[in-house]
Amino acid sequence: MSEHEQRTPVQLSTVSADDPHLQPAARRPELVERVIALTFFFGVVLLVGFGACYWVNAAPWTLGATLGGGSTLLGIGLIAWGKYLMPRGPFVEERHEAASTTEERSAFAAAIVERGGGVIKRRKFLGGLLGAGMGIFGVVSAFPLVRSLGPLPKGTLFHTDWAKGTYLVDITGRRVHQDDLAVGSIVTVYPEGLQDSDNGQAVDQTVLIRLSNEDFVTQKGRETWGPQGYVAYSKLCTHLGCPVGLYEQELQLLVCPCHQSMFDVTNGAIPNFGPAPRPLPQLPLMFDASGYLQSQSDFNQPVGPGFWERS
Amino acid sequence: MSRSRTPFLVLATLVVVGPALSLASAAWASTNPHTPYQTGRVDAGTPNSTSVVKNSAGQVVSYGDSAITYTTPSSSLATLGQSLFLENCASCHGTAANGVPADGTSGAYPNLVGLGPATIDFWIESGRMPAADPRAVQARRRTPRLDHTQALAIAAWINSLSPAYPGVPNVNLKNANVSDGAALFALNCAACHTIEGDGDALASGTFAPSLRNVPANQVVEAIRTGPGNMPRFTGNLSDYQVADIVKYVTTEIQHPQNTGGFGLGGLGPVAEGFVGLLLGVGLLALVGFWVGERQ
Repeated sequence: MSEHEQRTPVQLSTVSADDPHLQPAARRPELVERVIALTFFFGVVLLVGFGACYWVNAAPWTLGATLGGGSTLLGIGLIAWGKYLMPRGPFVEERHEAASTTEERSAFAAAIVERGGGVIKRRKFLGGLLGAGMGIFGVVSAFPLVRSLGPLPKGTLFHTDWAKGTYLVDITGRRVHQDDLAVGSIVTVYPEGLQDSDNGQAVDQTVLIRLSNEDFVTQKGRETWGPQGYVAYSKLCTHLGCPVGLYEQELQLLVCPCHQSMFDVTNGAIPNFGPAPRPLPQLPLMFDASGYLQSQSDFNQPVGPGFWERS
Repeated sequence: MSRSRTPFLVLATLVVVGPALSLASAAWASTNPHTPYQTGRVDAGTPNSTSVVKNSAGQVVSYGDSAITYTTPSSSLATLGQSLFLENCASCHGTAANGVPADGTSGAYPNLVGLGPATIDFWIESGRMPAADPRAVQARRRTPRLDHTQALAIAAWINSLSPAYPGVPNVNLKNANVSDGAALFALNCAACHTIEGDGDALASGTFAPSLRNVPANQVVEAIRTGPGNMPRFTGNLSDYQVADIVKYVTTEIQHPQNTGGFGLGGLGPVAEGFVGLLLGVGLLALVGFWVGERQ
């Protein structure tokens, strides 16, 4: 306290009322005042209008127009007030020195070291408890993080809902008949009954393409998989799982829209361009007695992008 | 003089621009509601394997229902068609329309025999044939060189060599449902043509063309015949469903409701955000300059 009293008192400059710094920026303040009053007035009118429009449930654009217009006008008025009617300045405020004296600072440091240090050292028990609490807090706060990763996938990454004898249906749930598609046609199919389910729309989705009118072999060892030219591939890109739905029938390519991976439809869907690391898994097909398409089994490989345990 | 006038000019501009901008943005926000592409809602039409109409030779004549009629061009046009073909097409496709030109290279150009009138009509009436550049990766739509009757005549002559289907379609959009059409378009077409119908690049220099100026019957022809790299859509889409798609293409795609005034090519939120940022930040910067300006 005593040291504060020793400081020299701040010299406040006294200015006369007609100092140019205190005059508003506008040359004709009374005119500006009228303009601002006008913007405020119309702003208030628009805001009242907004209330009225809201009350009578008017069209959305009237709400936007009145609220937007009203607040814009109020804002313009406020800015103009501050800019043209307030004292022009500039103003400089004198201040005393902010730093404490050397004695004050060394006394404070000594107090911390002598008294504060001792106080903390005496409470070992409390300090230990606090440390344990913080540690446990750190551990349990990771629980929601881990839980948010969802349940363990277990075998679901390896299998889809396609199995022996599953009927292929389109998005409306209609079974696909061998006469349905002409050569050069494509349709997205799902396991029967799952066309509207999350699983059906995600991991099970499959593109069905008719390549010819005779049985089609896409690779050695797949002799029975493409009856009457029908071949089916997983629609999930093996790169990042985008839907591979772009079929170019002259080039016989399936193109992924995300990163332009291209899969050779006639050769087991091996990728011949782009970042996809593996062929699209193929679904072996067969016909039932009346000519409707069924799967022979699940896909020959896990569908979609790679994952840790994938061999 | 100008020193005192400028702020009022700026003020007046803002008074006008501010409400106008808020009005425009409000109108923009209240544009027509988007169709939810909920796949379960697609239930128009009937299963086709039961309704496909075949002739005695097993060829598909039509896809069941009355929304589209497929007509084989009158054979009385065939003589005219042959002379037009020799004039315009034979230099590549050969005098027998089998894809073997005069130099005898077989397989150099597509064989047209047995393709069906809809295919021939599509390529000629969309201006892709006769080709501007026969060696181009992909023919482009342009002003057709031959008119409707001439196209039908050539189709009639080629059809007389070996009758084939589908015939030239005529679609009736009276009962078509644009909302089902949008869902079907999203499922079957949007992967390549984009949901706004602008088309996009594909593999090896090919592209899916824009649908902004394709006549209704050519949309049907393309769906049913699969020109070039486009796949065919046959028994999995009924004629009712194709009519729904055509209605979506000829209304929402070809006459989009851009109430805000800027369609921005339908490129979506990225383009819209960019323009909003450019205009909005620009305007804010101007206001900032004005607020900070000292007299």
